[in-house]
Amino acid sequence: MSERLFAMLIYLAAASIMALLFWILADLSYQGWSHLSFDFLIEEPANAGREGGIGPILSSTLLIIAVTLLAALPLGLAVAIWLAEFTRRGDRLGQSVRLSLDVLAGVPSIVFGLFGNAFFCIYLGMGFSILSGGLTLACMILPVLIRTSEAGITAVNDAWRQGASALGMSKSSAIYHILLPAASPAIAAGLILGIGRATAETAALIFTSGYVDRMPESLMDSGRALSVHIYDLSMNVPGGDGAAHASALVLISLVVLLSIVAQGLTDRYLKRRLMV
Amino acid sequence: MKKILIFTSLLLASMWSQSLLAASNHLVLTGSSTVAPLALEIGKRFEKLNQGVRVDVQTGGSSRGVNDARMKLADIGMASRALKANESDLTAIKIANDGITIILHSSNRVANLSDEQIVAIYTGKIRNWREVGGSDQPITVVNKAEGHSTLELFLHHFHLKNSQVKADAVIGDNEQGIKTVAANRGAIGYVSIGTASYDAEHGVPIQLLPMNGVTATIEHVRDASFPLSRPLNLVVNGKPGELAQRFINFARSPAVTDLVESLYFVPLEH
Repeated sequence: MSERLFAMLIYLAAASIMALLFWILADLSYQGWSHLSFDFLIEEPANAGREGGIGPILSSTLLIIAVTLLAALPLGLAVAIWLAEFTRRGDRLGQSVRLSLDVLAGVPSIVFGLFGNAFFCIYLGMGFSILSGGLTLACMILPVLIRTSEAGITAVNDAWRQGASALGMSKSSAIYHILLPAASPAIAAGLILGIGRATAETAALIFTSGYVDRMPESLMDSGRALSVHIYDLSMNVPGGDGAAHASALVLISLVVLLSIVAQGLTDRYLKRRLMV
Repeated sequence: MKKILIFTSLLLASMWSQSLLAASNHLVLTGSSTVAPLALEIGKRFEKLNQGVRVDVQTGGSSRGVNDARMKLADIGMASRALKANESDLTAIKIANDGITIILHSSNRVANLSDEQIVAIYTGKIRNWREVGGSDQPITVVNKAEGHSTLELFLHHFHLKNSQVKADAVIGDNEQGIKTVAANRGAIGYVSIGTASYDAEHGVPIQLLPMNGVTATIEHVRDASFPLSRPLNLVVNGKPGELAQRFINFARSPAVTDLVESLYFVPLEH
């Protein structure tokens, strides 16, 4: 009997999670669907965002994410490789880097926003720009990206490392041809978590990439991200709810789409090197 | 890999050259999140009339607008309040009015509250609607978060300090305040009249309380008979540049009246 009850509770938990997701999607679709169209995706916003579309905002969002990934991915992978392959277990420096990364991963995003505003916008003189926003988000997603990639690389069986050195492979080519491809599922997972966090970010972007909803002409232009647009429509613009819901639907689709693309690209570029 | 490198360096090169060109016909406004949607729309119309000019609007609150104008981080600051005594080094230029109204859930039987009753409710001395002629229901006090000019205006009018307010919920923006009150039959809150009357007309279950016998309408904010009203200001430090001055003149002209009204603020009289 108690076994049955246990199983029922487990099923109930799973069902309620599904119901929650379904509820959110249904609510968003119900209130935003009438606003959604192809024109909505490409037009400029009008009447404080209540009419028109989100074309420039979608472009800014994609540019911000591109800057974030261009900055975070090489740096993140390099640090992950250093932590996994160039430090000994229990190494003081490695441990303190890990600890600081774990602390950074728990820092609220508004703190990153204020830091980004002070450092990138004012100190480095980038102003409110897509570049400042992207770099701020890069700082924010680095900890998660590094720690998941590191875990993936560390988890690769030691026999592979020994095999590589027995074949006379240098450390760099062993990492490039064997360890990174073998760790690609973990790297993809870190990437997807990072993209999700970056795309959903509002607080850090209000102070860095800003509020301007014009089509960006360069990375030095201020550009409003989708999440900032949704926040502004639902909080500052009376009658902005319909457009806010439609934008939220677009945002969710974007996160799903980017995750699939990230998963596909990591699979393709990293696994191809590994002849298994 | 090579392609990516070339692409990235081209991108970097193009953006630095672009940023050098921008400066002279470029206006930056920062500040109040209440004024920002209006300034953005005015900016767009101004850009259409002045080829090559760009107006960038950023938010962050009235205090930030005042600060950025003072430090010259922005050409023009935005503040949804009058300047304080210690801000007399700056100049405020009014572009519209906004009124604050007390809102209750529409099912609440209470149709009138005196200033003393509102103070007693907000300081936690009255905790049930029964005590002010309503049904037997606990009062949920909704207050604004620090840094919002609505809070400052409310506290100033009722001679309260924020530490005296016993709030059950603390909210950020107007729409959030309305949503909180609309979802709670015992709630009392305060928000912009423009936003509240738009939402009340569009079926959101809230009612706007009169103040000292004056009904909370846009007309009463315009003729300044409503006690709780505030100016929406542009803030400049010293004499603004030629372009900034033209923008300010435009924002005060009848050419933007429809924009002011579309955001439920009260335009200047012309």
